[in-house]
Amino acid sequence: MSLSSRMIIVLTSVGVLSGALLSTVGLLTRARIEANRLKEIEEAIVSVVPGTETNQKLYEEKDFTVYATRDAEGQVTGYAIYTAGTGFQDKIVIMFGTDAAIQKIFRLTILDQKETPGLGAKITDEEAFLKYWENKDCSQPLALRKPPVALEELSSSEVNVITGATISSEAVLNTVNDSLAKLRSLIQDGTIQIEGNNGQ
Amino acid sequence: MASKTLSQEFIKGLWDENPIFRQLLGMCPTLAVTNAVINGIAMGLATTFVLVFSSIVVASIKKLIPNQVRIASYIVVIATFVTMADRFLAAFFPPISKSLGPYVPLIVVNCIILGRQEAFSSKNSVGRSFIDALGMSLGFIIALLILSSIREILGAGTWLGHQVLGPWFKPWIIMILPPGAFLTLGVLLGLIMVIDRKLQRSV
Repeated sequence: MSLSSRMIIVLTSVGVLSGALLSTVGLLTRARIEANRLKEIEEAIVSVVPGTETNQKLYEEKDFTVYATRDAEGQVTGYAIYTAGTGFQDKIVIMFGTDAAIQKIFRLTILDQKETPGLGAKITDEEAFLKYWENKDCSQPLALRKPPVALEELSSSEVNVITGATISSEAVLNTVNDSLAKLRSLIQDGTIQIEGNNGQ
Repeated sequence: MASKTLSQEFIKGLWDENPIFRQLLGMCPTLAVTNAVINGIAMGLATTFVLVFSSIVVASIKKLIPNQVRIASYIVVIATFVTMADRFLAAFFPPISKSLGPYVPLIVVNCIILGRQEAFSSKNSVGRSFIDALGMSLGFIIALLILSSIREILGAGTWLGHQVLGPWFKPWIIMILPPGAFLTLGVLLGLIMVIDRKLQRSV
């Protein structure tokens, strides 16, 4: 057999074997990876709007999904908003929950981020960042408090910056403010409608 | 090479030919993921899986591969195992998969792995290649552990997430940033050279 045909045969068979193996692995793990992703979103929705039993996707576009959340009686408890914004390194994927009137943010959680470990990555830290987002008044755009102060000193529409990670903190803040504005305009123009929603 | 006993083949990866401290290979993952011990361990284990299996496969098919396409074939073999490791982590250990981010797929271009195929597995038996891969992997894990321990303790005051330094300690944030990786690695390399000279003199 000539050298070139041997080369072709060897490389082709290595490639075919590798492809076969990988598609098997892909098939075996795909369902689980997708389930992990869905489970993460489900858990995030429950965590950002208290008392949520079921949820319903109302609107979806790239990096922006709105879910309506309902309690055990089927009453609308609020919105869970899945959104993403540009951080210091890469996209920061956020889920946060508001009440049905979009006056109050219940909680915020970070689903994915690649910020600097120990600095910007503290946006995932309950004590350093997330606790300041609990039960905030979002009837006005939220503002960043810099330098950070004690929880009691923050006004109802302020959240603390993370010292040394202003860009990451601002990224989260701007993403949330933008998403709220977008959600309101979508509701106003009738794109998003919830049955049985009386505005409260 | 062939004159080495199997245990020598294993131990050389830990000190004499440590992939990081002596061969200075695989610097990209070494510098990038060692900001926390857990990332160092996960990276070390993922690389071990890829290195061991690639070495076994390469050593067993080495006679079939024409010299001209060996690198291409090795890379396909390596990439196959890397993708398997990546999917496996994403399916069963999603938090680790997330924190390692793009570095798992980048194991494909980790020079340690291709380097061992080219320098060792393509010339030695399956058994020897397996032992060599294990030794090299352990050397890699130890090096990552040392680096990430120093960086996490000084940079965050924690080790594997547990607080080890008291509240008096003000974390040196630079240690978990890229410059901290270079500083730590540089100091360690110097230290290892000094120890090695001392050892050789005493022999």
